[in-house]
Amino acid sequence: MRYIARRLVIYAITLWAAISLNFLLPRLLPGNPADIMIAKLSRRGDVSDAQLESIRRLFGNPDASLWQQYLDYWGQLFQGDLGTSVQFYPSSVSSLIGSALPWSIGLVGVATVLSFIIGISLGMFAGWKRGTWVDHIVPSTTLLQSLPYFWVAMVLIYFFARENEWFPRTDGYDIWTFNNTEWSWAFAGSVIYHGILPAITIIISSVGGWLLGMRNMMVSTMGEDYVVTAEAKGLKKGRIMRTYGARNAMLPSIAGIGVSLGFVVSGFVVMEQVFSYPGIGKLMIEGVEGNDYALMQGVFLVITLTVLAAMFITDLVYGLIDPRARQNA
Amino acid sequence: MPDLLTHAPDPVDPGEAADAREDERHIKRHVNGKFLIGAAVLTFMILFAIFGPMIAQFDPRISGDNPVLAPPDSTYWMGTTSLGHDVFSQMATGARTSLLIGVIAGLIAVTLSILFGVVAGYVGGVTDEVLTLIIGVMLVIPGLPLTIVISSAVPGRSGLLVAVILGITGWAGAAVVLRSQAQSLRNRDYVAASRIAGENPFRVIGVEVLPNLLPLLTGQFLFGVIFAILGEAGLSYLGLGPTGSISWGTILNDANSGYALQSGAWWWFLPPGIAVALVGMSLALINFAVDEVINPKLRSAPLEARRLRKAKAEKKAIAKADKQAAKDEKKAEAQA
Amino acid sequence: MIRTMGRKRVVAAASMVAGLSLLVAGCSNGDGEETDSTNSPDSSAAAEGAKTDRELVVWAGATKPINQTFNPFSPQVQHVALGGIYQTLYYYNKAGSGDPMSLLGESFEWNDDGTELTITIREGVTWNDGEPFTTDDVIYSFTNDIAGPAYISGAEAPDDTTVVLSFDEPQYTNEFSLLGSTYMVPAHIWEDLEEDPIEWGNLEPVGTGPYTVNSISDEALTVVANPDYWGGEANVTNVRYVGVDDNAAAQDLLMSGKIDWVGMFIPQPDPVTDLGIGYINTPQDPTVMYTCSNADLGCEGDQTDVAVRQALNLAIDRTEIKDKAFVGLTGDVSPTFALLGRDDKWISPDVPAESPQTANIEEAQAILEEAGYTMGDDGIYEKDGDPIEMTLSSVDGWTDYNNAAKLIEEQAAAAGMTVTAATVSWNEFAEGRSAGDYELIMGGVIGTSVPDPFQIYKDWMGGDSTTPVGTPLEPGFWNFSRYDNDIVDEQIEVAAGTLDEATKMDAYAAIQEEITRDLPYIPIVINATQTFYNQTDYTGWPTEDDLYAFPPAWGAGASGVVLHSLGGTE
Repeated sequence: MRYIARRLVIYAITLWAAISLNFLLPRLLPGNPADIMIAKLSRRGDVSDAQLESIRRLFGNPDASLWQQYLDYWGQLFQGDLGTSVQFYPSSVSSLIGSALPWSIGLVGVATVLSFIIGISLGMFAGWKRGTWVDHIVPSTTLLQSLPYFWVAMVLIYFFARENEWFPRTDGYDIWTFNNTEWSWAFAGSVIYHGILPAITIIISSVGGWLLGMRNMMVSTMGEDYVVTAEAKGLKKGRIMRTYGARNAMLPSIAGIGVSLGFVVSGFVVMEQVFSYPGIGKLMIEGVEGNDYALMQGVFLVITLTVLAAMFITDLVYGLIDPRARQNA
Repeated sequence: MPDLLTHAPDPVDPGEAADAREDERHIKRHVNGKFLIGAAVLTFMILFAIFGPMIAQFDPRISGDNPVLAPPDSTYWMGTTSLGHDVFSQMATGARTSLLIGVIAGLIAVTLSILFGVVAGYVGGVTDEVLTLIIGVMLVIPGLPLTIVISSAVPGRSGLLVAVILGITGWAGAAVVLRSQAQSLRNRDYVAASRIAGENPFRVIGVEVLPNLLPLLTGQFLFGVIFAILGEAGLSYLGLGPTGSISWGTILNDANSGYALQSGAWWWFLPPGIAVALVGMSLALINFAVDEVINPKLRSAPLEARRLRKAKAEKKAIAKADKQAAKDEKKAEAQA
Repeated sequence: MIRTMGRKRVVAAASMVAGLSLLVAGCSNGDGEETDSTNSPDSSAAAEGAKTDRELVVWAGATKPINQTFNPFSPQVQHVALGGIYQTLYYYNKAGSGDPMSLLGESFEWNDDGTELTITIREGVTWNDGEPFTTDDVIYSFTNDIAGPAYISGAEAPDDTTVVLSFDEPQYTNEFSLLGSTYMVPAHIWEDLEEDPIEWGNLEPVGTGPYTVNSISDEALTVVANPDYWGGEANVTNVRYVGVDDNAAAQDLLMSGKIDWVGMFIPQPDPVTDLGIGYINTPQDPTVMYTCSNADLGCEGDQTDVAVRQALNLAIDRTEIKDKAFVGLTGDVSPTFALLGRDDKWISPDVPAESPQTANIEEAQAILEEAGYTMGDDGIYEKDGDPIEMTLSSVDGWTDYNNAAKLIEEQAAAAGMTVTAATVSWNEFAEGRSAGDYELIMGGVIGTSVPDPFQIYKDWMGGDSTTPVGTPLEPGFWNFSRYDNDIVDEQIEVAAGTLDEATKMDAYAAIQEEITRDLPYIPIVINATQTFYNQTDYTGWPTEDDLYAFPPAWGAGASGVVLHSLGGTE
């Protein structure tokens, strides 16, 4: 329990720091969302004083002290209010994120889990087969790992969506058939169909990392005394590989999930852009493009929180399966 | 790149690393193929960056009378862009920018990870708590989005600035690893002795701790470089890369916005992506070798396994031969 | 993709701006004589083609998630709302020089001094909620707090079909703004709105147009033909507007038959048209180099010297720029800013009608030498040891502009001037040009919506439309060059106060002489406006022969006219 409590405190402080940084960043940057909105409106005609007032109210009062703004910011945050988007005015940032987040979590979650499973299995195999021809193939996965995500995505699109129209080029579902998101088997099928190429992109670019990590840990573990003993006892090979080797070798990889999420996030932001996937990464780019600070910050905050949550969960899981971690902390 | 981080929870005994270094002669004899390939590719890329612009026939920024979208031939070794710029010249100039950004960002990241990770791990106490917290925050904040937010706000980004941004957003993972390594080193006898003798902690870190972390640092530097080169390409793709300079990322971006794939100009789109991947691969291969230095099991285990297998196979073969011989004998007996 | 998008978005925004701020200087309706346009959409092309329920898929430039608003007062309004759902009194065809097409207005008439506009509205029109369209709606649309122009001093309805707008000063020049870009909204809905009318999403819009909304999501929206439309139910009954994030994706979708109508830049249209897809290019908007030209107002840099601007103008090889940066798709530009072909009659015989198409380095250098510059050792001209050096910015990702800037850098170097092409963010570009904090910028001038360059003279070169460097321009001011020339200002006044063509021509000639010499904006090309359409399944598109409306799918107002003119081929 002490372990969990201690981790919780650390996470709470990290959370506070991340949110505060999120508050500070836009205020350190040039430009003012209210001014941008007013400029946009005024191109369509005169802007009345009443409108100016309401926009100022919406985008925060620049005349208040920084401390007051900080307090207001926390107040808004607790109400789930992330401000109003300039780009998608009058939509609120939270509603925009709300509709984009499930797409990203779904796609990236599934693809990462698949990548993890494939990478770990192959890594286990490669580690088991150490000292054979497999050793010569393993290093080539580093090439996959080093390909830029978006480059892979574009090549995939070129061959499988453009030259051969096997997979859809854009979107998260068939926007020609469905007028809106809905709960139906046909729709679910469409979502899966549209997710295949993006998921393959993520898997191609990330599977090498898991594979290598697992393989190396497996090789180290297989040299441990208890494995040698197990072998000497004449236990079945499959049992040694899974129970003695893989289970222990996998520990670092599980801990790695949380940490590697940062990399996954970086990849999908760009990947979503290439596939026009309606997720959070693309929303962020839209925000950057439109100088929509409220949106940019909101998305940034949500990504940070998601990573934090994911790390917390893996931390807990890790603590459960590896008693040493509890003591070290 | 998760394997960079996977070492964290299970600190490799640095003593082993030290032993391994002492055993350099042994390793040299076994210079492994991965390292050779990696080093060869990397050397080639570096030579390309140094001499490429010198042997290039065209100014990468001047189209002159060049044909547009010409496929590779003896004049335009890698073809031309939609404006008539020579792709080879651009790739050569871009190699300098991209590699430089990678190296600078890698150095910054390693320096910061030492500053935070090693100091936190070695000094311990309150310092450790504070530094660990900062590392934790930086680890949670996703690098590329943060980079995007910063880049989008900074006007006129130079290559150097992009490198700095990538450097300061990409060190946290390495710091975690270093911290746990430094923690375990701290308790080694020879380090503890210096500490108790009242030596200046920074001297101890410099003289006793860092040299032992060298292989690890090398690996982290290599990954820092890969991360930065990939990061630069991604930023450039999003239009947030270095302005006014040519890098592999900006070539990719030009190719993309110039409809290179749509017009079938593969010679414009493929080289920058492949170049990035090759550099990444070469660094990762070198890191492979470094990994085997840090963790000698990686190298001994496969050899051991091979030896065992060979022995087994031989045994089997002998057994088989014996069996066969026995059979033959039996047969002969039966016939007789 | 961020790049192509930025470009696209600005084109769309610019067209909206043009819709509001451009004015008509003297159409044919002078001297209080009544203009009764006989053009009406149903007489132009609607008869063509058959009824079809094949869904027409349109990309009008919306990116995902699309803005869920049909509020015509919102800057993010969906394109279909302007023209497809809400209509103006008249449609002014930007692509042609004919009379405006009658929509909700039957006729209009100016009084003698331009202070009163009498409009007769179309009878028998109903809103799509069944309520009749009345003069109350017209008056509300002109006088509401949100979009009603401040210069309207009175609006009244002497009878059921007539509305009289009165002004304190002559407003001939705002005819287009009043009749062609003020959308009629139902007073019975908008007057009693409880929400802030600007924030209102208006997801079930009540309009008079040929379409009504069926569904909307983050990715797409659908509209269906309005069966009670006053011009007759549209032949194409189902239309889907999709969101696409970048031009490359849109091109793929167009080529695979998933998009039927789109207005976007495709540098190589041949592979598209080879598939049988219809294509029309209607260049409209001048692409220029903005120069911060006026040192008196605080501009800094070598371009403040008129000799440098003239030399630069001559050093540019427009043919190379057109071929390489704009892949041969642009039109030739006139230094008078009259649109060649459409506005020819306004071009003075005393000035060159066209900007030079090839570089004339000798002449450029002669001008510099005459102005006291000498060639330095490095081949760059200098005066008092100070070499000519300027920065030419373009918005990062506006590929054609970035490429043009790169070419200009090369061409200027050949003539002995250092021009450094640099890319900047849209923000920097917008702030730089607004505050005058720049040297040279690759930028656009908004082409006029009517066949007359007056608006460009007044808004882009008038001394009243600018501010000193450091003070951002007010909205509606476009004189980024800080150009301030008394002769030009005087002649703008003359032209604005008259409907007599000869007087206006004289005024324009005087203006043109000044601006072709001073070059506050160095004209480069007329930018391409490409439209691609499915001519296999649909007929009735605007073509070179029958350019009855501005063709791109993003055209405000025009898209409604085009949609109603379409029909199935079977």
